[in-house]
Amino acid sequence: MIQKIIEELRRMPKAVYVLALIVAIGGLTALYRLYAGLGATTNLNKGYPWGVWISFDLSMVAFSGGAFTLAAIVYIFQKKEFHPAVFPTVLTGLVGYTSVLVILFMDLGRWDRFYHFVIYPNIHSALFEVSWCILLYSTVLVYELSPVFLKQPRFRKLNRIIKKMTIPMVIAGVTLSTLHQSSLGTLFVVMSNRLHPLWYSMILPVFFWMSSIGSGVAMVIAGSTVSYWVFGRSLNQKLVEKLGRLIPWIMGVYLTAKIGELFFTNEQNLIFSSGKFSFLFILEMIVGVILPIILFSIRKIRENRLASLISSSLVILGISLNRFNTSWWGMKPIEGYKYIPTIAELLILAGVLSGVILAFTLVSRYFPVFEETEKRTNTPISAGKIPVNTTK
Amino acid sequence: MSDNIHKGKYGFLIDASLCIDCRSCLVACSAEHNVSMSSTRIWMKGTGVMGNFPDLSLYTAPFHCMHCDDPSCVSACTVGALQRNEDGIVVYDAHRCIGCRYCMYACPFEVPNMNLQEQLPLIVKCDMCEDRLNQGLEPACTATCLTGAIQFGTREEMLQKAHKRREENPDLCDHIYGEHENGGTSTFYLSPVSCDELCFPCVETHSTAYSNRQVTHTTPTVAGAAALTLSGIFLALKYFGKSGDEKTDRPEETKEKQA
Amino acid sequence: MKNSISRRDFLKITGNTAGALALGSFIPPEVISTALESGFIDSQGNGYIPTLCEMCVWRCGVLAKVQDGRVVKLEGNPEHPHSKGRLCARGQSGLMTTYDPDRVLQPLVRVGKRGEGKFRKTSWEEALDIVAENMLQIKEKYGPEAMLFSSTHNLSQTQFENLLFAYGSPNYGTQRSLCFNSMVTAFLLTYGIEEPSRNYDDVEFILLTGRNLAEAISTSETGELINAIKRGAKLVYLDPRFTKTAAKAEEWIPIRPGTDAAFLLAMIQVIVSEELADCDFVRQYVDHCDDMPEVFKKYTPEWAEGITGIPAKTIDRIAREYAAAKQNAMAHPGWRTSNFVNSFQTERAIATLNALSGNVLTPGGCLGAESPEASSVRLGKPPQPAYPRAVAKRLDGVPWKYPLVPLKLGVFQEMRDAILTGDPYQAHGWFVSRQNPVQALPDRNRTLQALEKMDFIAVVDVIMNDTSWYADVVLPESSYLERYDPLHVVGDEVFIRQPVIEPQGDTHSALWIYKELGKRLGLEDYFQYQDEEDYLLQQLEPLDGSLATLSINGVIKPESASGKKEEIVFNTPTGKIEIYSETLGRAGFSPWPTWEDPPLPAEGELYLLSGKVGQHTQSATQNNQLLHKYEDKPRIWLHTSTAAERNIKTDDYVRVTSPVGEIVVRALVTEAIRSDCAFMAFGYGHRSKGLRTAYANGASDSDLHVTFTDPISGGQALSQTCVTVKKED
Repeated sequence: MIQKIIEELRRMPKAVYVLALIVAIGGLTALYRLYAGLGATTNLNKGYPWGVWISFDLSMVAFSGGAFTLAAIVYIFQKKEFHPAVFPTVLTGLVGYTSVLVILFMDLGRWDRFYHFVIYPNIHSALFEVSWCILLYSTVLVYELSPVFLKQPRFRKLNRIIKKMTIPMVIAGVTLSTLHQSSLGTLFVVMSNRLHPLWYSMILPVFFWMSSIGSGVAMVIAGSTVSYWVFGRSLNQKLVEKLGRLIPWIMGVYLTAKIGELFFTNEQNLIFSSGKFSFLFILEMIVGVILPIILFSIRKIRENRLASLISSSLVILGISLNRFNTSWWGMKPIEGYKYIPTIAELLILAGVLSGVILAFTLVSRYFPVFEETEKRTNTPISAGKIPVNTTK
Repeated sequence: MSDNIHKGKYGFLIDASLCIDCRSCLVACSAEHNVSMSSTRIWMKGTGVMGNFPDLSLYTAPFHCMHCDDPSCVSACTVGALQRNEDGIVVYDAHRCIGCRYCMYACPFEVPNMNLQEQLPLIVKCDMCEDRLNQGLEPACTATCLTGAIQFGTREEMLQKAHKRREENPDLCDHIYGEHENGGTSTFYLSPVSCDELCFPCVETHSTAYSNRQVTHTTPTVAGAAALTLSGIFLALKYFGKSGDEKTDRPEETKEKQA
Repeated sequence: MKNSISRRDFLKITGNTAGALALGSFIPPEVISTALESGFIDSQGNGYIPTLCEMCVWRCGVLAKVQDGRVVKLEGNPEHPHSKGRLCARGQSGLMTTYDPDRVLQPLVRVGKRGEGKFRKTSWEEALDIVAENMLQIKEKYGPEAMLFSSTHNLSQTQFENLLFAYGSPNYGTQRSLCFNSMVTAFLLTYGIEEPSRNYDDVEFILLTGRNLAEAISTSETGELINAIKRGAKLVYLDPRFTKTAAKAEEWIPIRPGTDAAFLLAMIQVIVSEELADCDFVRQYVDHCDDMPEVFKKYTPEWAEGITGIPAKTIDRIAREYAAAKQNAMAHPGWRTSNFVNSFQTERAIATLNALSGNVLTPGGCLGAESPEASSVRLGKPPQPAYPRAVAKRLDGVPWKYPLVPLKLGVFQEMRDAILTGDPYQAHGWFVSRQNPVQALPDRNRTLQALEKMDFIAVVDVIMNDTSWYADVVLPESSYLERYDPLHVVGDEVFIRQPVIEPQGDTHSALWIYKELGKRLGLEDYFQYQDEEDYLLQQLEPLDGSLATLSINGVIKPESASGKKEEIVFNTPTGKIEIYSETLGRAGFSPWPTWEDPPLPAEGELYLLSGKVGQHTQSATQNNQLLHKYEDKPRIWLHTSTAAERNIKTDDYVRVTSPVGEIVVRALVTEAIRSDCAFMAFGYGHRSKGLRTAYANGASDSDLHVTFTDPISGGQALSQTCVTVKKED
């Protein structure tokens, strides 16, 4: 048994060791943070009670929106041709949400009471709703991914039950995702005095929900190219191209809604007159919305793996920027308070991100996540840098 | 601003023209509530020295929880650790708090402090000396204020006094900070200079808690609508779009077989 | 000295005793049952116990909230005229002085070198024996005058004086010459009283010369001043610095340091030359009234403008406004105005202005010719034999060098200097109680040199303050919340200071310490009281009141008190207000208030102003964690232009040099000060490592102060030192 493990460890690609090391460093830092407290390990202060961790969480949740978007496409809209991408996407979503929960745990001042939101409800609180939805949705994600782990014959009965529950679970998942993706925007509705009007709106939840769909679709597209290069497996590019067609529509509606709302509240002048805030807003719109709309309107780009990776990365980057702006950089400063993340905060983040990649890699290695995807054929040397499990 | 928000029983009247920045109120509060040395429930705000020598002026006023009529922190708190009691005092249950710090961002007056120096920190916030009120005593800050800059009584009394003082003293600003901000609070400020100059946060008059509830209360509706719409689409496509699906399925199946 | 008790341990020590039991051990049983009956303290020993604050000399009445044998909160006693139910920041922080982890809880004997801070704990027997032995040796070898005694005035002062007089030393140092000698001497000579009382009920015009009441807080008076302003009184405030009092003043006069007297003399000139004062009325009480126009002729507003930098028009106008308010105008006596040698003359001018307005001649007027300390209540005292005659001259030069300085004021800094010069004789020992001369005296280096010359130094203190740090024996006094002190008379009421909790560690009251020391010095007969309670009982004897009632209520108003006097009497040689003072004339000084040129800073030098902050009491409280929490960082104030010239920004370190010393401290660049001045808050820069919160926080201006003594009043001129400031790289 041990021999097998050692052999397996030997065969492991070097990258995995690097990731594991970063995870370990992040883990030790995390333990120290739990021991020493937030004041000793972060630069969070009264003027900036939330920092890079919360912004990261918001971005990661948006990014993980691929899971519910794809589930909707495949199961609700019944575009079964996209099914091969489901497991990789759901796995990404699950490790993504797990990382969000880990960082949230790090961020809680009283992490020893993390379960309090279960026993002490405040139904008016957006954060209460977010907590519950994420908790429940994580369950759905586990459910959606379970077939990957239950391939063995002894699970046949279980598999059948699971399959039967698919549609209700997917509906629950998409509903829960809609709720929490939007509620992450609702978090900021109470901050009308602090959040800059370029981002603030009563319909922030709608903006967050729309952009999470865009980010989700982009995640699937980007993931497709990355898995092709790294694992040698991917969704057929023709299907990826089809997904790409959605981006201009989704982001187009989003752009209209955002700019429209500014005009509606007569705040359109702020777009160019707000100094640093203008810069961030325009940057976010160009990178995450305008450029992708243009790029994804071009068929050649949609069809090309590299081009579609770059274009979808712009969407993800732009929406992450939107999340950072809404939760951190778009906040009006308070006199006397500055916030720059500490090394500890960044190390923990790095550890978590590496953990995401590591978990994804290891699960793909040992479980048939990429089973239904197409194999990469055009490289003479190897099928991919990191082999994945494709046994049926 | 419906939702049946009732005005609080008590009120503070703080007059920046009388405050001499002696900080007795700060020390008294710390002593009364055994507050950690690295945090505080009440602090000084002020203009700093304004003007150029020798035409100078300086005003200060102590600042603490405003005890809003419709508190943003109460609406936002994940676990309901912050509540507004029947007397209108915004109280904090230290046993419930999970340290998520949402209240710190939600409060438009930038009030809740967190004792981040602690391993397991908690929020530090004025509770209007609820214990003292129950014993028939004034809040600690009020009781010790040397110049009467901080006064305390029923809300009506304090508001009346505020308006009266303003009439008697034309040097005081028209605006009574705290009367309408965030939908109304229990703390009223008189000042010879604008609250901007005192470095008070600029807060609008609508209740942010109300805005918050307007959105969070749509959750059941949204959930229901989403579930229904998704079910509807699924059923519609399943039973009316079957033929279409079969056509698109086949090319992929053939491709896989070839690979 | 390592103090291994953490703050948490400290609170544990205090929290152990069961309430009622604890109460029984220091309050006579009669009190408990009475207290319980009256509902003052409940059966658990929880409740409010009245006592007196000691965080400054104002001594507000305090209600100490006690729970489970611990003081948990201090409230102002509404019955006490000095607090009227309120306490300033220092008063509120008092419990942190009692629970300060750096308190001395056991007698200490020095084992290392002086200033090393190495002590060993010992018993009271040994400590007192060592002190007595040394004091007797010094008395035998050099005479009792070789032993110096100094203490800042406090409630147990009578017994401190008792000790030193019984011992036979004439050398008695108090803080008074660092504080208000100029005021007291001036008013003694002019009105025959030490300090006039102030009444803000009807005042319309208040002239404050220095006396930063909003920061040098006297609880009730500060409140009264602000309320007078609220009521519509006009405050005119003279100060080179824009203090918090300036912020409340209707008119702030940014006067050149040391020139207040010129301003006031010009005001007098305007008033007397234009007969703005009601001369007929004033003439009855003021001698030589008709000579005044001629005498003050030269002090015109134009003349004053050149000296003070204040426009003549302004001085003229203020003089008229002052006069127009008649007896409702008050020129506040303050403590020492500008803190220059000529402050004595400034105080004389203030006394003159008050005489001219007639306020002091109006019963119930805004200024009273009776001292706030005056009272008709006569307390009893233990019997004792007469004191031995002290033959030797006083080292502080009173009265042989300073003929007009009252004996009880003394000239403390002179005493310190005499240690160094050995002239007229060498001092060998120093007994200090409740005082920190190392921080308080000007020119700290000199004070430390003087300490080096001592054969023996004993200090009675609550905390390891700077002077204790250099002592040979430290005798720990219980904090004010843990002890009895002699009764405190205010007006015609008698207030008690009593323990509200058991004393921490092995500490005792000053009454006990002095008696025990006295016994060992063979002076038993001068301390004829069994214990603190017995002393208080003897004090109460002539009055109608029991200790039990006093303990519960905190105050008694003896029936023997007769109330306010009808007649206004001036205790001067002529029985009138002596603006012209024959006494001064005979001593070789100007009989009229006169102008004396203060020194001016040289090129590139700045006046170094000293002053107080509302969150501290001189150098006594910097270690109190509650005050430290809310204090402003100690920095030297520099005007924007002064700082710009020297390329200094706020929080830069600067080197400040005076003729006697040098410090490095952070700077604060501000508009709130004249460009020829710098300002440092008094009391920071502690040297004692036993003060873990205060040690090395900020810098001490006493390192820089040159010793300047006014020959008339003996007052130390703390603001007369000029310094150079440059950026420290």
